[in-house]
Amino acid sequence: MPYDAMSDQDDDSLLAAYAAGEPSAARALTLRLGPKAFGHALRMLGDRAEAEDVAQEALLRLWRAAPGWRPGEAKVSTWLYRVVSNLCIDRMRRRRGGFADIDAVAEPQDPAPSAAAAMQQTTRGQALQAALDALPDRQKQAVVLRHIEGLSNPEIADIMDIGVRAVESLTARGRKTLEGLLAPRRDELGYDDD
Amino acid sequence: MTDDRMTEHDDLTPWFTAGRDEMGQASGDWLARMEAMALAEQPTPAVAPALGGAGATARGWLREALGQLGGWPAMAGLAAACVTGIWIGAVAPSDWTGSVASDESVSAAEPASAYDYAMLGL
Repeated sequence: MPYDAMSDQDDDSLLAAYAAGEPSAARALTLRLGPKAFGHALRMLGDRAEAEDVAQEALLRLWRAAPGWRPGEAKVSTWLYRVVSNLCIDRMRRRRGGFADIDAVAEPQDPAPSAAAAMQQTTRGQALQAALDALPDRQKQAVVLRHIEGLSNPEIADIMDIGVRAVESLTARGRKTLEGLLAPRRDELGYDDD
Repeated sequence: MTDDRMTEHDDLTPWFTAGRDEMGQASGDWLARMEAMALAEQPTPAVAPALGGAGATARGWLREALGQLGGWPAMAGLAAACVTGIWIGAVAPSDWTGSVASDESVSAAEPASAYDYAMLGL
């Protein structure tokens, strides 16, 4: 079955097809879930190589869980986010001692306007990543899931295995810290020009 | 996934937008490796037994024996005979066996032969 024919199937159906040995389901799920797993790991860890390792480990666990998967019990994407998050937090705790220095982010250069705009956006993204890296693990996890991945509070609560109110508290505290860290860089990164 | 999530905190919204735009996508090479891993980990689908295997040998022997006995019609007759025999053994009519065993029944059932008449001097 071609991938296009499976693109309208939900994750549960695809995982069942995967467990039944359908190769196109393996391709479809990889293309659908791989970038999500990698993207979340990258935002949590800020390192491509580590993010690839974590996302690979999470996907491997999903493939091995597929034969025993019970449809409707948990959302596949939520399950995957949870595994990625936990693996990331384990790594972040292991490498604790390193630090994120928001002032170490490079200053914007001075090339042609369009390239300058792109570079400025890149620098803003790097500044955000540095600020996120300065947050406590759980705050960072909640803020990334909420404001970068765009998940709802109940989904985040499910992923983090906490209540919705706890999610709201974590994101509120995380935002407050981010505002404090990023406000001094607004002028420097051209936000007053936008 | 909704815009209110992106706009509920105006001061940080541009930063989050930049963060979403800036963070890299998974590379094609990595995705290809993930696809290969998914296929390698995938459970093997159930496969029908190949022709010429042990199952085919057993079926060939049965078919040959059935042919030697006369095929399915002969098997049906054999099965009917077996069932009838079992039925007679299980629920035999008592008056039938009794009448065969008695002398009266025998004389009644078997008329006198030429030998009998000779012995009686008739």
